Amino acid sequence: MTLIQTGIYLIAALVTIVAFYIQGEEFIRSMVRAQVVQSVLIAAISFIIGIIEASVDFFILGVLIIILRGFLISYFLERRIPGKSSIKYEPNVNLAYYFLLDLVFIVISVFIIFYVVFSSFRVSGVLAGTEVLVFPLALFFQGLFLIASRKSTFTQIIGYVEEENGLVLFAIFLLPVPLIIEASVFLDVLALVVITSIVVVEKQTHEKMEELKG
Amino acid sequence: MLLHTLEETVSQYLFVVLFAPLFAGILANLKARVESRKGPSILQPYYDIAKLIRKETVIPRASGNIFKYSPYLIFGIYSLIALIIPVLIPDPVFFTASADFLGGAILFSLAAFVKMLSAMDSGNSYSVMGVSRAMSFNFLSEGTLITVFFAVSLMTGTNSPYVTNHFLIANGISVVSLDHVFSTLAFAMLFLYETGKIPVESSGLMELGMIDEGLVYEYSGKLLAISKWSSYMKQCLLGSVLLNVFLVPWGLYSTGYAFLMDFPVMLAKWIFLITVVVIVETTLAKLRLFRIMDYLAVAFTFSILFLIFSEVTL
Repeated sequence: MTLIQTGIYLIAALVTIVAFYIQGEEFIRSMVRAQVVQSVLIAAISFIIGIIEASVDFFILGVLIIILRGFLISYFLERRIPGKSSIKYEPNVNLAYYFLLDLVFIVISVFIIFYVVFSSFRVSGVLAGTEVLVFPLALFFQGLFLIASRKSTFTQIIGYVEEENGLVLFAIFLLPVPLIIEASVFLDVLALVVITSIVVVEKQTHEKMEELKG
Repeated sequence: MLLHTLEETVSQYLFVVLFAPLFAGILANLKARVESRKGPSILQPYYDIAKLIRKETVIPRASGNIFKYSPYLIFGIYSLIALIIPVLIPDPVFFTASADFLGGAILFSLAAFVKMLSAMDSGNSYSVMGVSRAMSFNFLSEGTLITVFFAVSLMTGTNSPYVTNHFLIANGISVVSLDHVFSTLAFAMLFLYETGKIPVESSGLMELGMIDEGLVYEYSGKLLAISKWSSYMKQCLLGSVLLNVFLVPWGLYSTGYAFLMDFPVMLAKWIFLITVVVIVETTLAKLRLFRIMDYLAVAFTFSILFLIFSEVTL
């Protein structure tokens, strides 16, 4: 393994750790800011790959990530956090329980999917010969688990953004997706966050199964 | 050759037994200075031990033989561990072959088990409370310890801490590899837990937060002196593993009389570790008792997740 690969691995691992931090965090504002850190780390990976591959696409992608995810999404979300303590703070977050459950969840889901679906995929370019795709998959499932484990609508939106972060990281690692598709995905997410941040004002928490009641 | 190994063995053993209280003393002194206090002398742990040895030993009527003899047994177990892991000499010495890394971990657990048995045998309700606390946290810390050692063995393909030390010196890049970085982090968190440092436990006999201190609550005189000495040795052993196998594996020699240079090198390494611990101790607040589980869950998550990641991805 080269030094560059080790460096990218460590940054990708930091992305996963930030996802764990969001999972264990109680304050909505801290979660939003942690999501910014996560996006900036992903942008850093994009820049590193861009430098090594000498590709402008990765640079544009990195700048897009920083502007859209690092700045705009967090701006819209933070503006919607009201002063009421019941909303800016989610009580009863049992960190040990969430961490262990999250660990079991991602280990089982990621490795089943990784071995069944992605074991034949080979990453090309600077990360050739490594199985770096585990990280975006883990991030994707951490986002899913965040949505499933929390009641607050804000947290669920952050879970969704985290999932999208997983997809972006996946695209960066796997193959150069055409930039126009990436950009449109980002704008979609932005539009969705703007819409959901309005919905948040109407409905701040989701109880179990309430959507399914007739 | 045999004489040389004997010299190395004796110096390694004496290093652990004689220098262990000094590290505790430096830590207490440095912490006091950071907190703008004058602080105790760095030799205070030696004075404490000397004073306690001279004092009368009181043994509770309700206690049994386990209470009386376990401090000696624990001292013996730590003495054996001192010869198993690379504390001072980077090459195997006498008795090193008696156990590997996992064996060392099991010996640490055995010492903790004997300590708990003795606390249970004392008949004091505070000691039993300490045992119940220690037991309820140890299931995560023991899991982390085993996983950290798995990570080390999987990286080097062996279970010997000496080989790990040499491997890390020879392969510089593995020091920043995923499993090494995160197992180091997990082991450092575990070091703070096992030695009762601030985010987990504040030293002193405060009944509300005590875990490890509670176990020796009923001891006095010579038995307390030996118990205290054993816990200094435990701190010295765990810290030396953290330094020599995880954080800074470089700088130790065993050819000829170069091993004498290991004393100042280890002292310098320990001052580095003590500085880190002082920074952690003076900047963080003590966690509430039920939050310790969260702290250990983080350490456990670090160790196991990145062990699995590195196994899949490499």
